[in-house]
Amino acid sequence: MINKIIHWLIYFVLFVLIQTLILNHIHFLRIATPFLYLYVLLKMPVGNYSTNLILSFLLGLTIDLFMGTAGMHAAACTLVALLRNPIIKILQGSDLPKDLYPSTYTFGMKSFFRYCFFIIFIHHCALYLIESISFLDPLYLALRIGVSTILTTFFVFVVEVLNPASYHNAEP
Amino acid sequence: MQKLINFILNKRHWFVFLLLEVLSFAFIYQNNAFQHTMMLSSASEVCGRLNYISSSFYNFVNLKHVNMDLMRKNGELNLRLSTLNDKLNTLLADTVRFKAYIQDSTHTQESIESILATVVNNSVTQLTNYITINKGRTDGVLPDMGVVSEKGVVGIVTSVSSHFAIVLPILNPKSKLSCKIGTSDFFGTLIWDGKNISHANLTELPRHVQYTKGEPVVTSGYSAIFPANYIVGTVESLNKKGNDDNFYSLRIQLATTFESLGHVRVIINHKQMEQKMLEKEDYKHDK
Repeated sequence: MINKIIHWLIYFVLFVLIQTLILNHIHFLRIATPFLYLYVLLKMPVGNYSTNLILSFLLGLTIDLFMGTAGMHAAACTLVALLRNPIIKILQGSDLPKDLYPSTYTFGMKSFFRYCFFIIFIHHCALYLIESISFLDPLYLALRIGVSTILTTFFVFVVEVLNPASYHNAEP
Repeated sequence: MQKLINFILNKRHWFVFLLLEVLSFAFIYQNNAFQHTMMLSSASEVCGRLNYISSSFYNFVNLKHVNMDLMRKNGELNLRLSTLNDKLNTLLADTVRFKAYIQDSTHTQESIESILATVVNNSVTQLTNYITINKGRTDGVLPDMGVVSEKGVVGIVTSVSSHFAIVLPILNPKSKLSCKIGTSDFFGTLIWDGKNISHANLTELPRHVQYTKGEPVVTSGYSAIFPANYIVGTVESLNKKGNDDNFYSLRIQLATTFESLGHVRVIINHKQMEQKMLEKEDYKHDK
């Protein structure tokens, strides 16, 4: 148990640092930014709703602190954390063991990709919609959501393929 | 009662969800309405320090370009200095000087000073961009002070902590800067359209405005945040979209390059308070 918590904390710190120090400076064609920190959220254990919600909220809030966007990422992350279990149930069926860690190994390549794509898409929709409250331009908004989703999914997959932990066991 | 408790326990994730969402929207709302969430911003000490470390690395990498810019600027200023010196010398040569000059006892300090600061966090990718700088209240930076780079206007300080401050740059739809067209003195409001980080729109110009392409756009100096005639950008074209029956809108090429911002200066206008007080007093009588 302690081991898992430490693992998760390392994930948390590592991906928050990568996100804030490197990826936030990327803006592909001045439209899209990859939000790789979602990988931490994607790899949380299935089930255990309340804990996941609170941890996702904290993850979003930490990113918010660094980006100066108090609340936006926190709101989007919390929404995604709520919708995560239903999405997994739809994709994988409801008879999954508790404390299963989503990965290409446990889900299968195709299914894990769909899972990532849906989660990331919903997150980006929420994030950019909240962001555009003060300024709405539907076409530009759709473009930003689309390109950012593709970019983030790509980054998440690269990390997932390179992550040795995702092959031989289900834990992070 | 038992059923109710069971129901709440079973569905507790919904309550947690609602609570957290309400909390985050409270943050968003507060942050948008007014900069109250000092604790929850990148000016907080921990984030500020971390950003400072990473930005010192980025600044080091950019040193070559910064150096080039400074050399160019230095050359220009040297040239200007020598021409002004020449002028001064010719004027002095045929002016009788009064040597027994006693400084006026009512002489006050310079009304405008500036503080050099380093950008520690800078975003250009979002719709609502903010910049964090490494000078705060202890260095004399206060909200509503103007921030400029060596190329042009950057933005306005919105909130400060003891060692850091947050700047609302032109690249934020919430920023509204009063500007005028250099030669003709027509003034309007500069607003960013949220797309291109090198362009903004100068709106609310009268219909009979005269402009030529490439004409400088400068600060109007009405708000006392920026001194008048500080360069903002140049006129590029007439903005077709933003026009209505009464007002014109121009597309402005911004002078500041926001994506490579290293060092900025915070302008302290000692007479800003005085102007504000006076205006406030006067408005009060209007009501």
